[in-house]
Amino acid sequence: MKLRMQITKEAGIRFVSHLEYTRTIERAIRRAKLPVAYSEGFNPHIKFSLASALGVGITSQAEFVEIELAKEIDITVAVEKLTEALPMGIHIKAADVVGSKTPKLMAIASGADYYVRIPCFGDCLEQLQRFNSAESVLFQKPIPKGRGKTKEIQVKDFIKKVEYDYSNKELELRFACKITTTGSMKATELLKILRDQFSVPLILEQADIQRTDLYAVNDKGRKKMLIGN
Amino acid sequence: MEFGSIIKTAEETKVSIALAFPDVYEVGMSYLGFKILYHILNAQPGVAAERTYAPWVDMEAKMRENSLPLTSLETMKALNKFDFVGFTLQYELSYSNILNMLDLGGITMLATERTEDDPLVIAGGPCVFNPEPLADFIDFFIVGEGEEVMVEVMDLYKKWKNEGKPGGRKEFLERVVQIPGIYVPSFYKVDYLEKETQGIPAGCVKSVTTVNSLAPTAVQKRIINDLNTIDYPTKPIVPYGEIVHDRIMLEIFRGCSRGCRFCHAGMVYRPVRERKPEVLKKLARQLVDNTGYNEMSLVSLSTADYSCLEPLIHDLINEFKEEKVSVSLPSLRIDSFSVGLAKEVQAVRKSGLTFAPEAGSQHMRDVINKGVTKEDLMNAVGAAFENGWSQVKLYFMLGLPGETDEDILAIAELAKAVQGKYKEVTGKGGAKVTVSVASFVPKPYTPFQWVGQNRLEEINRKQMLLKDALKIKNITYQYHDSITSVIEGVFARGDRRLGKALYLAWQRGAKFDGWSEHFSYDRWVQAISDAGLDKDFYATRERAEAEVFPWEHIQPGVSRQFLWNEYEKSKTGTLTDDCRHGDCTGCGVCPALDAKIIDWKSSVL
Repeated sequence: MKLRMQITKEAGIRFVSHLEYTRTIERAIRRAKLPVAYSEGFNPHIKFSLASALGVGITSQAEFVEIELAKEIDITVAVEKLTEALPMGIHIKAADVVGSKTPKLMAIASGADYYVRIPCFGDCLEQLQRFNSAESVLFQKPIPKGRGKTKEIQVKDFIKKVEYDYSNKELELRFACKITTTGSMKATELLKILRDQFSVPLILEQADIQRTDLYAVNDKGRKKMLIGN
Repeated sequence: MEFGSIIKTAEETKVSIALAFPDVYEVGMSYLGFKILYHILNAQPGVAAERTYAPWVDMEAKMRENSLPLTSLETMKALNKFDFVGFTLQYELSYSNILNMLDLGGITMLATERTEDDPLVIAGGPCVFNPEPLADFIDFFIVGEGEEVMVEVMDLYKKWKNEGKPGGRKEFLERVVQIPGIYVPSFYKVDYLEKETQGIPAGCVKSVTTVNSLAPTAVQKRIINDLNTIDYPTKPIVPYGEIVHDRIMLEIFRGCSRGCRFCHAGMVYRPVRERKPEVLKKLARQLVDNTGYNEMSLVSLSTADYSCLEPLIHDLINEFKEEKVSVSLPSLRIDSFSVGLAKEVQAVRKSGLTFAPEAGSQHMRDVINKGVTKEDLMNAVGAAFENGWSQVKLYFMLGLPGETDEDILAIAELAKAVQGKYKEVTGKGGAKVTVSVASFVPKPYTPFQWVGQNRLEEINRKQMLLKDALKIKNITYQYHDSITSVIEGVFARGDRRLGKALYLAWQRGAKFDGWSEHFSYDRWVQAISDAGLDKDFYATRERAEAEVFPWEHIQPGVSRQFLWNEYEKSKTGTLTDDCRHGDCTGCGVCPALDAKIIDWKSSVL
């Protein structure tokens, strides 16, 4: 049996890294004394995982964690205990129990929605339209630990279009980004592309980026919630 | 804010204190002393204790660029808005960070120039036993263990504040100095010898006298007589990020009476006072429940010396087996008993074992009263190798009093003998031995407080001598920067005239001196010389028996005569026993502090 939860990463802890966030959750699970399953071996650790790593600096309303349990529990009690054990900046938004054989969240998460607020000094509407109507946008994505090496990716495979709203020198963006087994794109990378390739006058350092949703996509291309169905 | 942090509202706060650690968060958050004070102080109604750390240099640059003051983490209040800012003095090379934090916090640098708007800047911790180089910057020092005295200071402040702060800072200092364990440096005057007197050179301290009749002639350190009676932090803060000691710290006792002659902690934290096993087990349970950590370290100055260690470890391992909490020992004694324990606690992970023979030759080990023989070490590593370990780390010191080149080469011989033991035990070669060597720095209130530290060139020569002798397969040689030990040595036994050098060095950019990439030897040498002082006067000069030291009005309880006798005994390599199991060695601590050794095994039997 696995306990799945949708949790937040709020502004106060936005600069906590993914590894630190994971460790923080692990300690909260231990404090909550949930009947968790441990890995075998010399250094047993709690069997739990997150659906998708979030970049440093980004807040989220939709982080998903799944914890393998050693025995059944009452979900309300578990949520109550965990709520008490979680530090500031992490809240439980939803919880669900699934069978042990259910595929891992990491394997089924295939899309994320983002909401961005960013200072923008000057015209941008025409450029954003140009991005939306472009057939192809290429980007040199740095290879992790690649010592400056990059690989070319097709941005449009991941982000088809952006919705936007511009007023008082602030641009609001909403977009969906595909997650594939071979990779995805970062919200910050899209902002960089908009600035560098489409001349949108953005101040990247002041972007306030939030992940608003993370979901699976079914055969028909429809969004499917990760928990509660 | 991290789990376990405590934020009080302005209405709840009658007196506020920023516990300031003069290094980065990851280092400062690992410090048990502040975990204890944070807990004790915040448990007091009306007292808000918050935390602040030195920002790393990139952050500092941004803060200065944007005129952002250094604040506490809890309420983001600038340091100059606190009633108290309390620093811990963990090592001499952190002093420049104290000045930098005062500056970043918007606090007037010199104690004498502070106004009623400035906080009271206070300090405590191990280096408080010679606080003189910081006398210009600190309003008062807390000498010894803080659990009780800090609460007394807070109560006194609340009362003074309620009365409308009569007499301003000066009156508060006059009131607080009447609490035992409080040292107000501005209430003391230091006179120096103008010319050589009875073999003691000019420039040495002639006398330290009080200039305020309320100040005691000597400040005796405070201790907690029975650790079982005081509160221990069972809900410590659990950080989001990884800190240096990222685990539960269970303090099992204070003090160590083995009497190693170089060891500052061993002299100033006496006497040994153990917590009861039952108390420790209760604390351990609460700590595991409240933190979610999966590792617990049993901390003290010499954990293997805890009288009930074996049963305690058994009980802890059994208690927490199901919850996968491991128990670890921070230090091992050089004997097979310790190896047996190590085997038990880290049942599975065969990472290296660390031993500290401290010196290579038997003569040198006798000089420092280490009380360990080559045979002890061979038995210990033999036991380790029999139990599957193949990596051993050995700690040594270079530059000990009376050290010859032979003594240094004996370090290499010992390392080779350890490798030989591996072959003997396992029938094959390949044991990895790491030899880690620090340079000896004489510290106040040790028998070696009279000793001249080796000159820089001498330390460098000795390091190279050993390096050549250790060019052996599978032996790794690590040594510390000799230049940092010189400055550490100057400040360890310095007087208050060094405040000027510290100020100049800070003005010229000194900070994070404990981090070699930020340490500039030339900057320090220049600052010391520009202050009209001579580094060799402090570091390399051998002192005469009768010399008055700048720190003698701060008293940890060990008598001067005991220290001198120990120094004399060291010259002939005569050993002194541990008073815990043998006879009283007459160090003077118990009568001076009206304390006694608390050892549970002996008291149960």
